[in-house]
Amino acid sequence: MEQLNDVLSAISHPTRRAIIRRLANGPARFLEIAEPFDVALNAITKHLKLLERAGLIEREKRGREVLISLRPKALRLVADWVHEYERFWNERLDEFEGYFKQQRSKKR
Amino acid sequence: MNNAAKTIEVTVERIIPATPGDVFDAWLNPKIPGNPWNMADKLLLNPTVDGFFYWTVKSTPHYGRFTAVEKAARLQHTWMSPNTSGLESTVTVTFKAKGKDTVMTLVHSGLPDTDGGRSHGKGWNFFLDGFQSQLAKSGGV
Repeated sequence: MEQLNDVLSAISHPTRRAIIRRLANGPARFLEIAEPFDVALNAITKHLKLLERAGLIEREKRGREVLISLRPKALRLVADWVHEYERFWNERLDEFEGYFKQQRSKKR
Repeated sequence: MNNAAKTIEVTVERIIPATPGDVFDAWLNPKIPGNPWNMADKLLLNPTVDGFFYWTVKSTPHYGRFTAVEKAARLQHTWMSPNTSGLESTVTVTFKAKGKDTVMTLVHSGLPDTDGGRSHGKGWNFFLDGFQSQLAKSGGV
């Protein structure tokens, strides 16, 4: 149950969900993960630490590089727990919120 | 025979950077990304009390009746789709000002708590692949 709490907390943020989606396509380096986000690298580091603590990602050293990859097993906990409509509305509202954030940043 | 189905409620909340009036209008405007109407292949939408909506995604129908339309404050409608297993679920959306922003709370109640409603392996893929592409494959929720 404790891990489920960590996982739910980890996926409660749209940036962390976007990171998970990116890693679902395959392992990536830190800067590749951070690139699409308009936030400080420090913030991405914090997001990754939370995902790691929840068991959702792992780091693997390959030579001089560190590759970050998804550990999907932890997400299965959520898949068994969250109702399909919860995901549906979360995704809808993420997109809706994103639209308004874009509008506001255009006005600036 | 007991026909009473166990139901659950889903609550989702966001802080939207706009006034409640703008957020309310945008939620009912099919051109705005993120609202449910935006993704429809076919859409009939009459957001007045006792007005109906009908939309399809990949031929999967979703329909309901508006039961409350309070501009810039609250919206409520019923919601039926193949995934509500014949139950008439209810979606209530409230819009509350918070400084320059709006706290938008969506409560979807009366959802069947069945294996079909819960995700298991299917939901796992749904989550990872991103909503739009999965919805296209699964034909709606």
